Amino acid sequence: MVAAGRVAERWLGLVETALLVALLGAMIGFAAYQIVARNLFGGGLTWADGLVQVALLWVTMVGASAAAGANRHIKIDIVPRFAGPRMRVAARRFTALGTAFLCAVLGWTSIDFIRWDFIDQTIGFGAVPAWVCESIIPIAAGVMTVRYVVRAIWPDRQPELPP
Amino acid sequence: MIWAGVVLLVLLALAGAPLFAVVLGAAMLGFVAVDVDLSVVAINIYDMTDKPLLVALPFFTLAGYLMAAAKSSERLMALTRALFGWMPAGLAIVGFVACALFTALTGASGVTIVALGALLLPMLKSSGYTERYSLGLVTTSGSLGLLIVPSVPLILYGIVAQQIGVGEPFTIGQLFMGGLGPALLMVLLLSLWTILRVGEVPRTPFDACAVWQALKAARWELPLPFVVLGGIYSGYFAISEAAAITVVYVLIAEVVLYREIAWRELPGVFRESMVMVGSIILILGTALAFTNYLVDAGVPQRLFAFMQEHVTSPLTFLILLNLLLLLLGAILDVFAAIVIMVPLLLPVAVGYGIHPIHLGIVFLANLQIGYFTPPIGMNLFIASYRFDRSMLELYAACLPFMGVLLIALLLITYVPWLSLWFL
Repeated sequence: MVAAGRVAERWLGLVETALLVALLGAMIGFAAYQIVARNLFGGGLTWADGLVQVALLWVTMVGASAAAGANRHIKIDIVPRFAGPRMRVAARRFTALGTAFLCAVLGWTSIDFIRWDFIDQTIGFGAVPAWVCESIIPIAAGVMTVRYVVRAIWPDRQPELPP
Repeated sequence: MIWAGVVLLVLLALAGAPLFAVVLGAAMLGFVAVDVDLSVVAINIYDMTDKPLLVALPFFTLAGYLMAAAKSSERLMALTRALFGWMPAGLAIVGFVACALFTALTGASGVTIVALGALLLPMLKSSGYTERYSLGLVTTSGSLGLLIVPSVPLILYGIVAQQIGVGEPFTIGQLFMGGLGPALLMVLLLSLWTILRVGEVPRTPFDACAVWQALKAARWELPLPFVVLGGIYSGYFAISEAAAITVVYVLIAEVVLYREIAWRELPGVFRESMVMVGSIILILGTALAFTNYLVDAGVPQRLFAFMQEHVTSPLTFLILLNLLLLLLGAILDVFAAIVIMVPLLLPVAVGYGIHPIHLGIVFLANLQIGYFTPPIGMNLFIASYRFDRSMLELYAACLPFMGVLLIALLLITYVPWLSLWFL
């Protein structure tokens, strides 16, 4: 069970890295192309700015999910820093559980919003439907929920390190 | 029921829950209290695709991570040393200038302490500066560049302030201009104080040959500030475009020309920088949802009405603001402080007739000092970990620097001209 979880986590990490490189690469490439095209040919691709901005949402959500995996989310860690080992582990279980719950609510409620855009056939950018662009919100929220549930069950026991 | 949720959230925050979760919870509680469907939170997160300026954040952040992964810090040190090393207290001034520029480019104080501080600390000590002074310098200077172009916190403030849209409208370019004077003032005051306090320390004589060598070593990075600033101020690029140019330029410089980052290391750098960006922008997205709730509920107006009853003069307001922000800067990360506090404070500040650019500069100047305010400023932890010193030693080392920077802060706060002279 734990071994299978480790393998899943490794694969998930690889998928995230691949996605981040592809998305960020596309953002840089298209943003740079748009500047060149606008200044040299007097106009860029009509859909490229939309793509770059949706890619930013994807980078944000995938990056946030990777941050959950690496325990690198920004936090105020006064109690865990000064607490004893038992208190620290208890605080970590509690915060992981609370975070998992909030991520789950975010993912669940976002499905409603995506369903409306699916029914209305809203367009995100170019010919890409909005629901496709939005789908990363429940996916990343789901991954984060699972990661924080795992953290609640098997919390880190080490003291806090600076970032 | 709602109050139980609020108590739970406060406990979560204190126990070290990720800030995005705390803000997310706050927004959800607010919307539940006024009977709004919770899918509005996801809608607000998706609305970020409507803000072209935001694209600048991942680009500048990646550029900073690339420069930190290459040997840019060593070249910057060599160059500033060749240029300023002959002055009285030259090496200390080198430290201030190099740290400020490096933080401006990398946008993160931790990187400056780890990359530059580790170079500077032994250099300072071997040049005759006391241990205590040297430690204080590397710890406090880790956040010195917060007000200098193209600092990511400054851009973030601009995005949040423009989103709220109260007070006089301004451009990010003007915000950048606003930060230059105060940043220069801080470096100047620190340098003057060092010259007076440290007295005679051996200097390196000026050597044109060394300057030439350092310039030659940094030849691929030197054009960068001119590309960024020139592009923005000539009106040739928008900020997000300047950011795209910067990241392409830095990629070519570090990977192809200097060859200090191998191609196979790139995915790691991309991932690391986007973990940072993801955690910042997710807080921003949830904070936008929370802000919408606050505005709907009329919280900023009520806060302002309450403040007006008790605080009549803008000056008193600014003093209170400084106290509040110093405290916040010590407990909150700079990005989190911006997205959470600016929506509340900006409408109040505008009500007192304070210009949004001035508020932004005062805000960031406070947070900069908050970074090394005992007992829990972030720089203190990083330095304590990196240089293996006790926190108490670092408190003592940082206090005099804090005094000087507080004087600078007072001047910045009460002389708006310093941040607004160009308007």
